[in-house]
Amino acid sequence: MTSALDRWNPLTPLAAAIALVLVAFAGPQPWTPAAVLALSLAIALASGIGGKVTVLTLLVVVPTFALLVLLDAAFPEPAAETRWIPSRAGTLDALAISLRLGAAIAALGVIVVGVAPRRLTRALAARGLPAWAAYLVIASLEAVPDARRRAEDVLDAQRCRGVAVGKGTGVRGRLRALPALAGPLIVGLVIESEERALALDARAFDARGKRTALAPIADPIGEIWARRVIWLALAAAIAWRFWEFAHSLVIAQVSRS
Amino acid sequence: MAMGVVRNALRVVCYPPVPLPARRPLSTLALALIPRAVALNLALGAVVGALKLPVYLDSVGTILVAVLAGPWAGIVTGIVSNSVLGLLVSPALFAFIPVAIVIGWLAGVAGTLGAFRSLAGSIAAGLVIGVAAALASAVIVIALMGGLTASGTGLLTIAIRATFGVSVDSAAKIAAVVTDALDKPLSCVLVYLVLERLPRRLGARFRRAAA
Repeated sequence: MTSALDRWNPLTPLAAAIALVLVAFAGPQPWTPAAVLALSLAIALASGIGGKVTVLTLLVVVPTFALLVLLDAAFPEPAAETRWIPSRAGTLDALAISLRLGAAIAALGVIVVGVAPRRLTRALAARGLPAWAAYLVIASLEAVPDARRRAEDVLDAQRCRGVAVGKGTGVRGRLRALPALAGPLIVGLVIESEERALALDARAFDARGKRTALAPIADPIGEIWARRVIWLALAAAIAWRFWEFAHSLVIAQVSRS
Repeated sequence: MAMGVVRNALRVVCYPPVPLPARRPLSTLALALIPRAVALNLALGAVVGALKLPVYLDSVGTILVAVLAGPWAGIVTGIVSNSVLGLLVSPALFAFIPVAIVIGWLAGVAGTLGAFRSLAGSIAAGLVIGVAAALASAVIVIALMGGLTASGTGLLTIAIRATFGVSVDSAAKIAAVVTDALDKPLSCVLVYLVLERLPRRLGARFRRAAA
């Protein structure tokens, strides 16, 4: 997947996304998450990934909001009069929670959809992520499609041998079929890992020293400064919220005394 | 470059020191297994889907690595697994990384204590892991999502609130425990059965590498 974000070093959108998520949770509610959600969707649209990020966000936000409103309508507080009519406070609470969640999903969704994981891992490795950690992320992403295909193969093979699967077999029968279906898949993957370990050792995976990237990712000075500004702004925003919180505690204590 | 040294009339060849392997907390065998375990966590969804079972079995790979290679490897598998899930499925899953850490660590500890040498021990380990994972996930769901997730567990929370009249927070905790109390023991039993089938040579290699 290519997006306009490919022009940037992946660490810059990552820093922006993390900062947006933290601001959405730390800022005044519900306006900050609403603003973060709008900003994240605008960035996604400008990067050509607006549709995918919007779908990803709606898939989490809409059911969460619906369930929270349903819960409020079905079980009103003792003071409330009518059942099955959502209260104003309950709906606002549901909206605040859903907006916060939506802001986080949209901000991280820009990274998930717009930045290739391999590129992101390479950029992190260039900034000091250990080689073994980078290998784990990239190898896991590459192993997923293969394992899924193998799971389908095992399912087909065991069906051919007469293992009953699906409707009409009862929960007990299906539970009994589970080891026959999952067992070969798991054992196969464990045995294969021994071969992969030998290959890693043979290729001097353990070698100490700085590695040279085959395709280094550019990190212009402007982006390095942009990230510094993002972290500073985030620290200032969190410090401001802490100060506000401490201030409200002091006022509450003074008014009590 | 090799250098010749004469000692006691014998010629001893001295080589420059060989660079030591890079320091890392996992054996090569564990490193090779973890990506397959992460893929397994996702791929077992196809098996569960085909069998239409009311469980997830999305931690079998994490538990397997933890038992074979120790708690640290289990924790790493949990973190990588939820990160990859977050990248491939939904960013909401990043929030559940602490749950995966709890599962990996507890399964590793249970493996070290020998819980996976018997079926009963595996079920007991699964129950402990299930309750701990449920409480960890309930805390996250309550803090971030108001007690409800957009899944079957969310509907179960509403059903529990309707039936027992408990608060949303309590209903979320009960729903999580009910779901995980079925899922994790089943995952542990599956790992136990796999360990029984695994070639002994391979099991011994993992134990040597983890020691």
